[in-house]
Amino acid sequence: MQVAFLETPSLWIIGALVAYGFAYYVYAKWVDEHIWEVSEKKVTPAHMYLDGVEYFPVSRYVLYGFQFKSIAALGPILGPFIAVAYGWLPALIWIVIGNMFIGWVQDYSTIMLTVRNEGRSMGPLVYNAIGERGRKILLAYLLFYLLIISAVFIYLVSLFWNVFPGSFIATIGIIITGLIVGELLYKYKANIFGVTALAIILTLISVGVGTAVAWPPKDFFGPWSIQVWSIILAIILFVGAIVPLPKFITPMNFVAVFPAIGGVLLIIFGALISPATGMKLIQPAFKGWYVQNVGPIFPILFVSIACGAISGWHSLVSTSTTGKQLDVETDARPVGAGAMLTEGLLATSALAAYMVVSPDLIAKGKISAFVNGATLLTAPFLGGDASKAYLLTFFSIFLVIYAITVQALVTRYWRVFSAELFRGSWEWLGNKYVATVIGLILPIIFALTGSWINLWIYFGGSNQLLAAMALTLVAFYVAKMNKPSWYSAVPAAFMTIVTLSALLWEIYTFGLSTFGIKKPLAKPPLTQYPGAAWALNALFFVIGIVLFVLGIYMSYALWSAYFKVRKGEVEAKAVSP
Amino acid sequence: MLDWEVIPIPLFGRKNKEKKEEKKEGVSEALKGVLYGFAVHGAATAALKTRMHMEHLFMLMTLGDMLGFPIIPPYYSLKILPYVVPNIKSWKERLFRERDFTDLLSG
Repeated sequence: MQVAFLETPSLWIIGALVAYGFAYYVYAKWVDEHIWEVSEKKVTPAHMYLDGVEYFPVSRYVLYGFQFKSIAALGPILGPFIAVAYGWLPALIWIVIGNMFIGWVQDYSTIMLTVRNEGRSMGPLVYNAIGERGRKILLAYLLFYLLIISAVFIYLVSLFWNVFPGSFIATIGIIITGLIVGELLYKYKANIFGVTALAIILTLISVGVGTAVAWPPKDFFGPWSIQVWSIILAIILFVGAIVPLPKFITPMNFVAVFPAIGGVLLIIFGALISPATGMKLIQPAFKGWYVQNVGPIFPILFVSIACGAISGWHSLVSTSTTGKQLDVETDARPVGAGAMLTEGLLATSALAAYMVVSPDLIAKGKISAFVNGATLLTAPFLGGDASKAYLLTFFSIFLVIYAITVQALVTRYWRVFSAELFRGSWEWLGNKYVATVIGLILPIIFALTGSWINLWIYFGGSNQLLAAMALTLVAFYVAKMNKPSWYSAVPAAFMTIVTLSALLWEIYTFGLSTFGIKKPLAKPPLTQYPGAAWALNALFFVIGIVLFVLGIYMSYALWSAYFKVRKGEVEAKAVSP
Repeated sequence: MLDWEVIPIPLFGRKNKEKKEEKKEGVSEALKGVLYGFAVHGAATAALKTRMHMEHLFMLMTLGDMLGFPIIPPYYSLKILPYVVPNIKSWKERLFRERDFTDLLSG
């Protein structure tokens, strides 16, 4: 069945591609040449401090793939689910504008900051700008940030396992495949191409077995199903955080790469050929300025899409690894801007999947909307109705692996982070077993309320506030170089206002239930225990205030430093030789 | 002993502009690079760091008395010394490099 081009998601995907092309070839190029004045002849830290471990030059193609893998998670896929509650048009506008003027600016510029500052990562860069207190506040902020990410991702994976029968079996299949691949690669030194082929075949078989068995059914563990799934996931993550990386996490991530890439390509292709397959836009373009249980379009829309438009996590990746391995300065644009704009394309494709599903699914907050939409887009060219059951399991696994691979690293990061933080005093808290258990139990407790949308907004708000800090930091250093800093300062100001407003909104929401004005935000079975529900709401209220206060301090300190440079109170000088 | 100065990193970067001009980068090389970066680069970097930490321990055991830790008798240290000497400089550089908590993200 063919439908008019204008009635399908295809036009919007092509429009977004054109916009991202403009951002990359015109705007980013201008910034690259006129603000940073990149040169292939300037020595990068990868060459300056070449040690073959942290600092070594890597091809831009490799770094692009690495950067994209490190930044792509659930944000661009599930974020549009919340944003589309306001209609697909506001979501699309924000994804495109966010990527064009803010998202790539942060990723690219933070890479350049590291390159021009002797390979320094975020902490030392903040230290140089606002001093030791700022660095400590950043540490505290990141601690809460990691907990919130963990709470959201652990809850969502548990929800996927509960909602999509067979997805757990397929996940276990992929993990076992990872273990086999790890042994073959590291222990038996097997041929990489053969192992890769085996990994793809075993992954497809795992999805097939999950589809055929379709067990366990929804709510298998009764009313506490999601919590039981959370504990099962926590056990897997615990093992991942404890055993050496090559034994578990890296082979699992290696295997997960193929369905992750395959899924993205299939959805983009499905959206592009939607005029031929007859997939029509059936979501309303605009639904309203306020959505019950989500909040007002400002600021919620701007934090809900998270990594699909801009994300603070990217600045951590850019400064801790990518910037140290950049071969030549001219690679920063394809790596930083290129990877971010590709993620923007992923968000746009995910939005296309939501565009073709029934508005009822979105209105009822059904998490299956993405899986249904992606299946609708891809089934027509992959076997029609016969393949739908398989594709439903495949796309549910697609969601699980994007969450679980990042969560495995976050849990491990938390463990290493705690060991560093509690060195000297309270050393037992830094013990690898204790730290991992704490890093898993706290998020599970947070996730007990089941109000994942509110948790997601906390995650989006804190994540993008980190991005706002990174953008302000960039503006500070660019101003120090006596170059126009508006390209980073304007997005930084916008994101600071938006994210602090979003955090305030959630504080207000949890405040209403904390002070008894409204019923606590909770889903069954927690609703049977109003005392516990209230306690968790109060906890979120406090966490929101802590995040807000830390965010305000960091923003104030960074903006003050920026204005001091602008006024000439701090000596402006070129950062690079 | 591992030679830290010559580590065969696949798809090593270009060194300068001239080299770039010499070599036309084909689409297949780009695709190979992207796939390698997507699937393996993180793991390769993590493996290098694991090796680095083990190397630090080895150097500490063999040359601990340089830092005031006589872990193995000096006789054996002396026997190993000729093999270890080429790595002392890079070992010191890596060991004494200040690392921040945000550096931990990379493994």
